[in-house]
Amino acid sequence: MTTSEILATTQALLQGLGTVITLFVVVMVASLPLGFLLTMLARCRIAPIRWLVNAYIYIMRGTPLMLQLFFIYYGLPFVNDFFKMALRSAMVCALLGFSLNYAAYFAEIFRGGLLSVDKGQYEACQVLGLNRVQTTLYAVLPQMFRVALPSITNESITLVKDTALVFSISIMEVLYYAKAAVSRTGSILPYAIAFLIYLALNSLLQLFFNWLEKKTAY
Amino acid sequence: MSLIFVKNLRKGFQGVEVLTDVNFQVDKGDVIAVIGPSGAGKSTMLRCLIDLEKVDGGTIEVEGEPLVKDGIYAPPAQVRRATGKMGMVFQNFHLFPHLSVRRNLTMPLMKVKGTGKEQANALALETLKKVGMGDRIDAMPSTLSGGQKQRVAIARALMLNPDIMLFDEPTSALDPMLTLEVLGVMQKLAADHMTMLVVTHEMSFAKEVANRILFMCDGTILEEGTPEQIFGHPKHQRTADFLGNNIK
Ligand SMILES: Nc1ncnc2c1ncn2[C@@H]1O[C@H](COP(=O)(O)OP(=O)(O)O)[C@@H](O)[C@H]1O
Ligand SMILES: [Mg+2]
Repeated sequence: MTTSEILATTQALLQGLGTVITLFVVVMVASLPLGFLLTMLARCRIAPIRWLVNAYIYIMRGTPLMLQLFFIYYGLPFVNDFFKMALRSAMVCALLGFSLNYAAYFAEIFRGGLLSVDKGQYEACQVLGLNRVQTTLYAVLPQMFRVALPSITNESITLVKDTALVFSISIMEVLYYAKAAVSRTGSILPYAIAFLIYLALNSLLQLFFNWLEKKTAY
Repeated sequence: MSLIFVKNLRKGFQGVEVLTDVNFQVDKGDVIAVIGPSGAGKSTMLRCLIDLEKVDGGTIEVEGEPLVKDGIYAPPAQVRRATGKMGMVFQNFHLFPHLSVRRNLTMPLMKVKGTGKEQANALALETLKKVGMGDRIDAMPSTLSGGQKQRVAIARALMLNPDIMLFDEPTSALDPMLTLEVLGVMQKLAADHMTMLVVTHEMSFAKEVANRILFMCDGTILEEGTPEQIFGHPKHQRTADFLGNNIK
């Protein structure tokens, strides 16, 4: 391949980068709070709510993400017209599927973080007169978040790589363009470029989280 | 009127009676040392006073207002009002590890009482100076020694201007040198007429700083008196035995 061919291929692959970044950002923004909500609901006083949440987490973590995407994109539209309308766009299905799936993982991560907060912290808050909401916001959450941070880093790196799965519901992202370029040019170089793109993304992410870990260390 | 009034207090865990019948009162300006063997129920008694444990029966009044009367709790707002008159210091400090010393002191004050930032900061500095920690106001708790942590924890409790301070073995996690600096701060508090209820194994503190001693044993207050009475002429053999084993 000539240099200009390499450039052209890289450019083609970068077209998919927008999709990857959109998926990553939207899924993180949606699934982190949703995961936290699940963590809180899993501690709810009402037992059936706890069961439902735990069942949800169990199913989401226990089945392949690709199967979940297929179910949403190919399966749900058969259920009724509402789903048929709402889930026409593969991207919407991908965002929904990823967010629901990652929320379950984040819920587990937060649960672990929550367990790590010492009982004495709650007692200190109580004797200082902080109410439940204040205790959660100002004492528990920051400590939970700090403990959860390394696992959150892991999950987000996995998310970047998992975005390649949307290929299976015919969304054009980096992998799609790489495969197309390989069959067009007969060279495997596009795959190498795809490697580098994912690596670069994750390096940036790792740098960001390293910085965040330092900043929130205590 | 006594600041704390406790009558027929009972408390068990899973059917095991830990406090069988506790009666005492704390008057304004009292410095009371609570001593007794491990497992006697000292911590449980203190925790009941500040509503960290629910009692099974009996009465607790704080400044004349019932927290619980004959085993029946007052409405939540009244319970908060009663416990708000007390500050508590734990054996293991329980500082907020993610907050600086300054924020450890100002955060509760600002959130609970709505105090402004400037005012809270000024009060934090003043209070830290009282416990000899003024120069560490911007330190993180993880960088402090145990004695320093405990002094900050005392300052944090003082920020809310309690009428009564409860201490649960405040020096038991500290080595002897650090114990002294914390006892020094507590002695200063006593000299400033803070009303204090102190569970402790420090017999020198009980002897020299407290004006009254409660000897607790098997979930009840077996004997109570001035340091001279308790140390000089204990009425019960159990008290004498306990002191015999504890005087260094
Ligand atoms: N949360 C709890 N659950 C069950 N038993 C407890 C609990 N807290 C204390 N106890 C028991 O109550 C008794 C008194 O404990 P405690 O008040 O801590 O005694 P002290 O402070 O005098 O050493 C002990 O036998 C202890 O095991
Ligand atoms: Mg104890």
